[in-house]
This record gives sequence, structure tokens and C-alpha cells, in this order.
Amino acid sequence: MTYYLSVFINGHFYLYWLLNISQSHSIIINEHSVQLGNTKDVTIMSYPVKGEHLHKHYKNQIVLNDVSLTLHEGEIYGLIGPSGAGKTTLVRILLGLEKADKGAVELFEQKPTLNAFRSLGYMAQSDALYNELSAYQNLDFFASIQGMSGKAKKQRILEVAKTVNLEKDLKKSVAQFSGGMKRRLSLAAALVHRPRLYLLDEPTVGLDPMIRRNIWTLFHYLKGKGATIIVTTHVMDEVAQCDRVGLLSEGKLIAQGAPKELMDHYGVPSVEEIFIAIEKAGDKK
Amino acid sequence: MRNLVAMAKRIIRQIVRDKRTLALLIIAPLLILTLVWFIFGAKAAEPNLAIIHYKSSDLLPAFKSSDYARMSPLQARQALADKKIDAYIDLETPVKVHLEGSDPSRNGLAMSKINKSMQIVQQINVKKMKASFTDIIHAQQKSIQEQQQTLRQMTEVMQRYAPSALTSIMQNAPKGEKPTATAAPEKVKLDVTYLHGNDDLNTFDSFGPAMVGIFVFLFIFMIGGVSFLRERTTGTLDRLMASPIKNYQIIWGYMIGFGLFVIVQSFILTCYIVYVLNIYTIGHLLDVLIIVFILSFSALSLSILLSTFASNELQMFQFIPLVIVPQVFLSGLFPIDTLPGWVRALGNLMPIHYSTEALRNIMIRGTRFEGWWFDGLILILFSVVFIVINILVIRASRPVVD
Ligand SMILES: Nc1ncnc2c1ncn2[C@@H]1O[C@H](COP(=O)(O)OP(=O)(O)OP(=O)(O)O)[C@@H](O)[C@H]1O
Ligand SMILES: [Mg+2]
Repeated sequence: MTYYLSVFINGHFYLYWLLNISQSHSIIINEHSVQLGNTKDVTIMSYPVKGEHLHKHYKNQIVLNDVSLTLHEGEIYGLIGPSGAGKTTLVRILLGLEKADKGAVELFEQKPTLNAFRSLGYMAQSDALYNELSAYQNLDFFASIQGMSGKAKKQRILEVAKTVNLEKDLKKSVAQFSGGMKRRLSLAAALVHRPRLYLLDEPTVGLDPMIRRNIWTLFHYLKGKGATIIVTTHVMDEVAQCDRVGLLSEGKLIAQGAPKELMDHYGVPSVEEIFIAIEKAGDKK
Repeated sequence: MRNLVAMAKRIIRQIVRDKRTLALLIIAPLLILTLVWFIFGAKAAEPNLAIIHYKSSDLLPAFKSSDYARMSPLQARQALADKKIDAYIDLETPVKVHLEGSDPSRNGLAMSKINKSMQIVQQINVKKMKASFTDIIHAQQKSIQEQQQTLRQMTEVMQRYAPSALTSIMQNAPKGEKPTATAAPEKVKLDVTYLHGNDDLNTFDSFGPAMVGIFVFLFIFMIGGVSFLRERTTGTLDRLMASPIKNYQIIWGYMIGFGLFVIVQSFILTCYIVYVLNIYTIGHLLDVLIIVFILSFSALSLSILLSTFASNELQMFQFIPLVIVPQVFLSGLFPIDTLPGWVRALGNLMPIHYSTEALRNIMIRGTRFEGWWFDGLILILFSVVFIVINILVIRASRPVVD
């Protein structure tokens, strides 16, 4: 398995990263316990999402060029990269909303099935809400199609509304929501069915710093309960909070690893400067 | 099943909370049908007519002054040019008609009115001839009576002077039979019976069934198409696809959610045209409802299908001239028997064609299930085909093992 994570830079040479070997070992050991029973108590799994050699193009534009990534159980993985790098496309392919030209995706170590979607929370870059409905009705609908019902559903809706600070606005129709309120409701809709895997496409864009911080507290809380989160972002202080980050540039995953170690390796003080450092390294070559 | 209910419930909530859509779905068809009713259901307009050279004419009684203005030739020509009258009639023999001629429907109205008057003219002519015949007969009868008088006198003379000669003459004389009064000839009158409908059937009554189909189809098509399109453009469809809901549940959820509104809409619409607009119908309300209902399903499934090819609302509405307008013309609103074969074949591919056929059978001819099952079946087939394609389209964009 992955004793090391492969990171290739500009496709010229591979750089092997020896990190978290001990953690990887523990994951592999626990793999067997996962096979025993798929109940909620067994939260440790080797990889909730795995994409291998993904290629994608639109017309004559190559959007993803041989991207492979594997998420570990219980980590927050940040996907960063300039606008148009292919982050959204990658997330959509991992979800099965888009077909990759080449390559394979596995969810919870299986080919994606409808059932796997039960443990998956997706928040798109656009808000994807029903504007005519009230906030409550939106959450009610998304909870229902995830198989929740009755009192448990109602309780859960109130609970997630509270986590995103919308408990007072549940009766309002979404058309009257501000941009940030919509964003939070969209996040709540991704949380409502208590998934184990979250794919969040720029969840905090357009939110004020206070709420942003609350949301990241929430992510750490979810992570603490064993959830895996992949999040795309442009905000660098959020990047620092990720366990691992993947740097996507022009359809290629140019580097991947813990933010601290990446910065140390390239000898730069911030994550965004890694892009520049790698570019320079590529030019030198 | 639960997913289906959740989908349907959500769609119903969406429509109920969107008052404008609700109004468009239910009130707009009523308004338009009322308008159509005023236009086609009104009594035929009376043509404006005039006569000239009437003073010396004995045909004058055929042209009542309430229907025909009396004018001098000059006035009449001017009035015709000013479109104040549709036609004038020159009563000099032979009778001539001058039509304004720019509007075929007014020409027709004027001509049918004039033809009615011409029938009276013929009656007047017949009466005149009858009168002159009666005069001749009377004159002949008179001369016969005079001859009989002289004969009687001669007989008296002969009886007195030669009785034997008289008896022999009387015996040889042919026995003249008294002419029996001939029965008066019956008045010739057309006795019209209708296999279907009656003479009160106006244009609206025959347009009505087609109109119901067209408006139900149009509004369901617009609203259904746009709401599914929104699902795509806002990304909620992606959210659905990233959930455990099954492809068929998405499509059928739509069908059921809209289906409830369609039931309400069809019911209100049908009751409105039957009880308020008093459209001619001898069929059962339930049959009408069933047809309207299954027609809406084909409209809804077609609109969902076409929304796949639209990337915004405007593009969705661009389908209306392509999908709705040809159906209006080929649905049976206008006779298509004389059109080229391929145009008629095209008409056979259109859902409204079948609903019109079925609704006419039900409303005007009063047939029940045996009269419309075939059209109904084809409408259901349309829906089934569209629904299956819809499910396949969704499946194609969802690379997930089922
Ligand atoms: N449906 C599509 N058709 C054609 N091109 C597309 C489509 N979706 C994305 N692209 C192209 O793919 C590239 C990557 O898009 P993507 O949305 O993945 O970028 P991103 O990294 O998420 O950017 P951002 O940070 O701005 O959200 C872009 O150049 C975009 O033009
Ligand atoms: Mg994006």
C-alpha cells in the first residue's frame, strides 16, 4: 500500500515522500477490522475515496491530467490551486457526477454505488437550493431522500441549523436569504444525514471570519468523530488547518502532503509560495 | 417509495409556494379559453347590405328594409368603397351583386344572406307565374260555362221539338267525369337531422376539445420544463445525484408531484368549459378528465426531456414554436385531410392530435371508453417512451453502479 505518497512535479521527476509511515501502518492494521462488519462503530477505514490516474478533458482542453489521490480515514484534505485548475472537476469526478475519460474512482473501497452516497455529504460550489422553499423545507427534503424520517429527522434539522447559525431563519424562504446564509444552508444540507465523508467545494466562500472559524471548528469536530473531509479553498489560513493538502495546477497534482512539511521541503514560508517554488524548479529543469 | 414521496412532496410545496406559477397553471388557461370562447362562440356577425334600383322592382318584398339599406347607385358605390357596407344588390333584371371582397369571411356572410333573400325572390317569381296561370284558367272556365249555358238552351229546345233524337245523343255522349280537386302540392322543405351535435353547435364547440388539449399541454410543458431545467442549472440535480435516490425516482417524483396539480388543473378547466362556458358536450366529465390527465403526462415527460437540451429558461421557451405551434395547426383544429401525406404523418406524431380526437369523440359524439381507448393508449405510449428516455438520460450522466 502507500508507505509513501507519490508526488510528481511537473511530470518530470517523482519525489518520494516518506511521511506518516507509522500512521499508514496503523491504517493497514485496522483494515481487517473494517472487513468484519460495516457498522457505524467501525469508523476506521483505509481510504474513503481513491482516485487513480484520472484524466478528463472538455472539447480540446485538458482539465485533469493523470491525477491520483487517496484520502485517509479521518483526515481533512485541502485541495488548492488557482482558479480553473480543475478542483471542482476533480471533486465531481470523485463523486461520480462526472465521468472521467480514463482512470477509476473508488468510494469506501468499492466501485461507487448508490448506497455509498448514504455516507457522503456533497456541497457544490453553487448553492444548489430550492429557492421557492423555506430553509426548513430544503433541509427536510434533503434529509428525506437520504432516508431520514419522523422525529429523528426533525431533531437533526434543528441541530444542523444551529451549527450553521440558521436556527432563527428556518421559516424564511431561501429566495430571501443573503449569499452567506445560502452558503451556510447549503453546508447544512450536506451535513444533515451525518455522512462519514464530506466533499465540500469552497464551503466558506463569502462568509464572515466569525462564521468561517465556527465552520472550521465544526470540521475539526467532525474529524474528531472519524469523518473524512475533502475541501477546496483559496483561503490560506484554512489551508494551514488541513492535515494534508493537494496542490492542483493546470490539471496536475503537483504536490501533496502536510502543509508544514511541504513548506519546509521547498523552504518557503507559506503554502501559496510552493506554487512559485515548483514553477521555478520546473523552469530550471 | 419514500424517496418518491419526498420528491413529489417537495415539488408540490414548490408550486404551492410559488403563487405565480400556480396562477399560471390554473388561472391562465381559464382566461385564454374565455377569450377564445368570446371570439369563436359569439353569434355570427351580420353583414351590412344595401339595394339599389328598388323603386320599380317587384322583388322589393324579398329585401326587408331592416336587412338592406335603400340607397342610390352613387351612395352605394361610395359606401362600398368606404367599407360601410359589404355588398349591394342591383335589383334591375338580371339581379346583380357587388361585393366589397377584401375579407373572405365577410364575403361569405354577405353571400349567404343574399342567397336567403334570393330564395324569396324565387318564391315571388313562382307566385307571379302562379297568378298568371290562375287568370288563364279562370278565363277558360268562364268560356266553358258560357258554352254549357248555350248547350243547356239547345237541349231544352230539342226536348220540346225532337225528344227521340235527344235520347240517342245523350246515350252516345261520352261520360264526362268531374275533375276532382287536385291535392295542393306539399311545400318543399329540407328536413335536417344531425347524427352528432345540433344546429346550435358553434365554432367554439368544435374548437373547444382541441383548445383544452393545447392549453393544458402548453402550460404543463412550460412549467414542467422550466422547473426541471432549474433543477439542472441550480445544481440541485447534482445534489440529488450525489444521494442514494434512484434515477427512476427522480423522474417519477416529478410525474407524481406535477400529476396532483394536473388533476386539479384538469378538473377546474373541464368544469369551467362545461358548466361556465357551456361548451356542447354529451360525454361524461370523467372521460374528459382522464384524457386531459394523460395528455398532461405526455406534456410533462416531453418537457423534461427537452429541458436536457436547453441551458437556460429562454432556450426552453424556444421549444414552444417548435413543439407547440405545429401541434396547434396539425392537431385537428383545422382540417388537414387535404394536406400532403407527410404533413399528415407529422400530425400523427403529435400528442395533441390524439387528445383532440379523443375529446371530440367524447364531447360531441358522446362515446365512452370504447371510443377513445385507442387515442388514450397512444398518449400513454408517448409518456412511457419519453419517461424511459428521461431515465436513460439521467443514467448516462451518472456513472454509478446501481
Ligand atoms: N462543463 C464544462 N464544459 C467545458 N469546460 C469546462 C466545464 N466545466 C469546467 N470546464 C473547464 O475546466 C477547467 C477547470 O474547471 P473547474 O471548475 O474544475 O476549476 P476550479 O479549479 O474549480 O476553479 P475555481 O477555483 O474557479 O472554482 C476550467 O478551465 C473550465 O473552463
Ligand atoms: Mg471550482
